[in-house]
Amino acid sequence: MEIINWSSILESLLFAAGDEGLSLKQMAEVLEVDELKVSEIIEDLRQEYEQANRGIMIVQLAGTYQLATKKENAAYLKKLVDSPHTSALSQAALETLAIIAYKQPITRAEIEEIRGVKTERPLHTLVSKVLIREVGRAEGTGRAYLYGTTKEFLDYFGLKSLKELPQLPEKVEEEFIQEEADLFFEKFQETINS
Amino acid sequence: MPYQVKIDAFEGPLDLLLHLINRLEIDIYDIPVAEITEQYLIYIKTMNELQLDVASEFLVMAATLLVIKSKMLLPKHEEVFSDDDPEMTFEDDPRDELVERLIEYRKYKEAAHDLKSLEEERGLMYTKPPSDLSDFAKEKQPEKTELNVSLYDMLAAFQKLLRRKKLQRPMATKIARQEISIEKRMTEIMVELKLLKGRKNFNELFPYPAKDHIVVTFLAILELIKRNAIDVEQSENFGDIFVEAVKEGAEVVGNY
Repeated sequence: MEIINWSSILESLLFAAGDEGLSLKQMAEVLEVDELKVSEIIEDLRQEYEQANRGIMIVQLAGTYQLATKKENAAYLKKLVDSPHTSALSQAALETLAIIAYKQPITRAEIEEIRGVKTERPLHTLVSKVLIREVGRAEGTGRAYLYGTTKEFLDYFGLKSLKELPQLPEKVEEEFIQEEADLFFEKFQETINS
Repeated sequence: MPYQVKIDAFEGPLDLLLHLINRLEIDIYDIPVAEITEQYLIYIKTMNELQLDVASEFLVMAATLLVIKSKMLLPKHEEVFSDDDPEMTFEDDPRDELVERLIEYRKYKEAAHDLKSLEEERGLMYTKPPSDLSDFAKEKQPEKTELNVSLYDMLAAFQKLLRRKKLQRPMATKIARQEISIEKRMTEIMVELKLLKGRKNFNELFPYPAKDHIVVTFLAILELIKRNAIDVEQSENFGDIFVEAVKEGAEVVGNY
């Protein structure tokens, strides 16, 4: 029986694919095995990389597997490039993006309703960075554009899929507090009136 | 002597209100409207004095607060507290709508905060562009296909390119401003493509890591597409984009 060094082959594939990444399906096609087998091979390779003396790891981004440098080495990598500053998103852009991520597809008017301010400029920035895109038109007058997040959005925030977004704060507790507040408010009013 | 004062910039009236609620340690469900309105107006006034542009949204909120304040001052009807109908005691609080908006906004403000940490976390990992495997590719000329690249694909390719060029930036650079017109770059690209007599990878059209050169080249490519001088092709989603000169009628370029 021929012995095939699967994890070696896979390592080469992932290296060559770079930041485009490879999906399970693509790897299965190249290796001519099923996706379950591919996951096993990836798991083997991942464990190998996890050893402390390695500088590379396997990450899952936007539905693909990629090789990336280990986070703890970031400080050294930054020394390689000239400008230390990273062009992070502005607060306005982040807020807008958060609303779109959780409520997509959504129109500009609906976003502005939540934020309470005009949102044209952050939207423009986000579209030009390809973190969001127009995904359709809303029903009704004006047929406003609907916005949604892109594959680049997932990659930018290191997410496998939209399911990985952190949970929004729950509302369950709020109702309880609301009642308490109402009670307090009533008592307060009575005290004042008496 | 002039000196600079750094003040907190607020994203909008809701953001300012949340800030005041936090600072005054107020329960968001029981906002003392009189107090918060006063504080809010002081802020607006200060912004005016500092000659900051006060967006109209801030003024609308000021008006809303005043309306709520006056509604709260109206006496409640006595019969509301009658024993037979306890439900009636929960009369509509004029603050309800505002509280709801504040809570909704706060939810996404927190989510934005989470995204920020994710952004920082992701920034610690570096990946490399795909290796050039084109040598292995068979010399088959791809069949002519429909133009199937959207503006979003072009923008995505552009962003990816900027990201890659950033890491290739040399440690020290000498700056020599060299202006290149879009028109000139269009001609260069056409010459390059015609000499090649085949298709060229989109990324290879950007030889210099200088931002203005990249931008000019990108605009030149878009213009060439518009004038039907080049064909752009992408065989699969997120795959590489290839550019090719259109055989006939290429003379159009440069005549405008």
